[in-house]
Amino acid sequence: MTNVADATPVPGQAQPPARTSLRDLIAQTEIDLRLFGMLIAFVLILITFNVISGGKFFSPNNMVTLAVQAAGIAIIATGMVLVIVSRNIDLSVGSLVGVIAMTYALLMTNILPDILGLPADFPFRWAIALAIGIALGAAIGALQGFIIAYIGVPSFIVTLGGLLSIRGIVWYLSSGAAVSGLDANFQLLGGGAQGSLGGPLTWALAVVGCIAIIALLISGRRQRRRFGFPVRPMWAEVLIGVVGCLIVVGVANFANNNFWPEGLADRVAAQQNWGPKPEGGWRIPAGLPNPLILLLGVTIVMTWLATRRRFGRYVYAYGGNPDAAELAGINTRREILKTYVLMGVLCALAAAIASARLNGATLDVGQSYELYVIAAAVVGGTSFAGGIGTIPGAVLGAFVLASLAYGLSFIGVNSPGQNVVAGIVLILAVGFDTLNRRRGTVGSSR
Amino acid sequence: MSNRRMLALSLSGVLALAACSSGGGAATSAPSSAAPSESAAASGSASASAGGATDCTVAVSWNNYQQPRWAKNDQPNIKKTVEDGGGKYIDADANLSNEQQLTDINNLIGQGAKVLILLGQDTKAVLPGVQAAKDAGVKVIAYDRLVEDPDIFYITFDNVAVGKAEADAILKKVPEGNYVLIKGDPGDPNASTFLPQGWDDAGLKAAVDAKKITVLNMGGSEWPKDAGTYTDAWKTDKAQANMEAIIDKAVADGNKIDAILAENDSTAFGVAAALTSKNYGYPPLSGQDGDEANLQNVAAGIQYVDIWKNANELGKVAGATALEMCKGTDAASMSLPAGLVEASVAPTSPTPQDFTTPGGNTVKSYILQPTPITQENLNLVVDGGWITKDKLCEKASTGPTPAALCS
Repeated sequence: MTNVADATPVPGQAQPPARTSLRDLIAQTEIDLRLFGMLIAFVLILITFNVISGGKFFSPNNMVTLAVQAAGIAIIATGMVLVIVSRNIDLSVGSLVGVIAMTYALLMTNILPDILGLPADFPFRWAIALAIGIALGAAIGALQGFIIAYIGVPSFIVTLGGLLSIRGIVWYLSSGAAVSGLDANFQLLGGGAQGSLGGPLTWALAVVGCIAIIALLISGRRQRRRFGFPVRPMWAEVLIGVVGCLIVVGVANFANNNFWPEGLADRVAAQQNWGPKPEGGWRIPAGLPNPLILLLGVTIVMTWLATRRRFGRYVYAYGGNPDAAELAGINTRREILKTYVLMGVLCALAAAIASARLNGATLDVGQSYELYVIAAAVVGGTSFAGGIGTIPGAVLGAFVLASLAYGLSFIGVNSPGQNVVAGIVLILAVGFDTLNRRRGTVGSSR
Repeated sequence: MSNRRMLALSLSGVLALAACSSGGGAATSAPSSAAPSESAAASGSASASAGGATDCTVAVSWNNYQQPRWAKNDQPNIKKTVEDGGGKYIDADANLSNEQQLTDINNLIGQGAKVLILLGQDTKAVLPGVQAAKDAGVKVIAYDRLVEDPDIFYITFDNVAVGKAEADAILKKVPEGNYVLIKGDPGDPNASTFLPQGWDDAGLKAAVDAKKITVLNMGGSEWPKDAGTYTDAWKTDKAQANMEAIIDKAVADGNKIDAILAENDSTAFGVAAALTSKNYGYPPLSGQDGDEANLQNVAAGIQYVDIWKNANELGKVAGATALEMCKGTDAASMSLPAGLVEASVAPTSPTPQDFTTPGGNTVKSYILQPTPITQENLNLVVDGGWITKDKLCEKASTGPTPAALCS
């Protein structure tokens, strides 16, 4: 059970003795050191690329591209954490993304308009397609989860079978051809200037985020008091609140410094009669892109599921010690099944982003996603031994990997070079983590 | 008990599904390959009184008839050409299996084939079958895909010429400016060698050396190795991610992208998606394969040129060559009938030319010319039965410059 406590900071963990070394000060803020370290590594990667590219890398436009490219992998990685934590694996995610992306494309170009008679201007057609895709993902996930949890076929085998057979189904769906031409509203899920929140909404979101951080801090403190748990020192609470708010507002400001491309702004201005063009052209803040908003929502919901709901506690308990969890009366099979259903839903969301970005689907959408997703989870601190892993960590892991791929192609390193670096980083990240953990369990005061 | 049986059932269902995807579904394809043979057999008995070609049975061994192209374009043209010449057509499908293909070849020889048109699943694994055919006195045509054997006849499209056609079209449109080069998988010789060689044949390197053209995405200084960005496994989403980074870099550097050479359609589709999501506008963009989604992009004005390999004509050439082989004409005195294939597609010479394979064999060959498709000659793909006009024009109106054909 120490593993569980290790993964998610549980209120009431033994307070370290009050010394004033930097390490202890950080410990008093209860910041997850591993996560913090990775955040620093991520920032270092960005700074390195910025230096190499002569200061051109770290711009709002580029960071938005990076975030959109990372979003799909990151969304699935949040689910992969729970799968790996419960000592399973899911190799079928790439194929699942492929089959659902193709389903979206066929729904909107063929099935909805021609067979069900819903024309292109039918309201909420994009939502209908999305709902069907999510249902399909959940169904396939449930089938795989059922075979794994109730029949007892190893997850590696089941999802390897899924990887092969589901990719084959993609071929049959489209007879091998790429399908293009999605609903205009659906395309907004993929980001781009028009598929972003825009200036005012981005600011509104930042304010809401800030209030939420403060509210969470206050209610958390109250709860701890109520149950007699030790609380963070006041300076730590204020520090976290202020820094958290500054980051949220900073990100919003940064994103709002990414403006619509001139050509697009001129075209839309002409279409919608915005009046005469102002001096220096239209400057319309694009704000945060939709895929990032989707990822934000998924991360919050998944973290809540993992740390605040019985489902999450059971999954971590099972991963930490399967026998103990079962003896404690947890219906472990049902919880395992649920993790795969969740994976199916997340794959459907990632497939929506991927197909919206392509404005269609090709046979190879999502190919080798499973590798990137597992790598993201593992770089983010998820352990194959089970019971350990956090969702924000996996998201950060996805951003680390995506920043390497994007940064290397930005400075002109070709794909073989990108693969070399990604592989080395994967091993380094897990290597450091393993060393850290070993030192932690042998010599620490915990 | 019944519960357990249910589980076993569902499990076997899943296994069957898995088998289906890897095997390609042998059961479903059997009728499709049997049908043409039966009809041919029926007409065969009647042709006993016909002239010299009576006993000319032409057999085709497909490696994967599931791919729509074969049934739609190649097979009907081979069959028609052979039957119009008084021959008999039979075929078999190997469903992506090397072993099945060897069995198929033996069966086809057993059915009295005089000429074997072979689409090898694997250029080396199929060699025992080629040997069996040679032993039985059956001539072998390597169709579309090379087989490493000195005695075969090779009929295909010119892959270097595809690259040349891509660069010809783009260079003519944009003789000077900033180029982006998008290549395919770094492990594929088509991506790293043949297509770039075609680009250089069209004058790309000369224009770069003359400083008329600047390649924005040079990974180093070596030409052509470092010129352009490779795309792992020709993946569309990888090409898209790479192109987004290239656009961001160009914008940050204050460079304008004037043209994009993409090696094939799957990468070109990713590039087009990147241009769309970045609202960059659509500089002239190349591709090859004649994929439906890319031809739609050409019709919409999103992709400038798509190099199309007209498989109808390839089938006609194979059928005509097989008929000649039946008569015992040796390759040196063979000649394609005038007017059989479209002039723009026909091999440079009507007589077979020598082709040196990567394995060092010199074989006789017909190498057909690919057709560059732009908005001006879009009608060719419609007239050739490659794509219907409705399908082609489906999303033309949403593009920046819809083709005249679609209005």
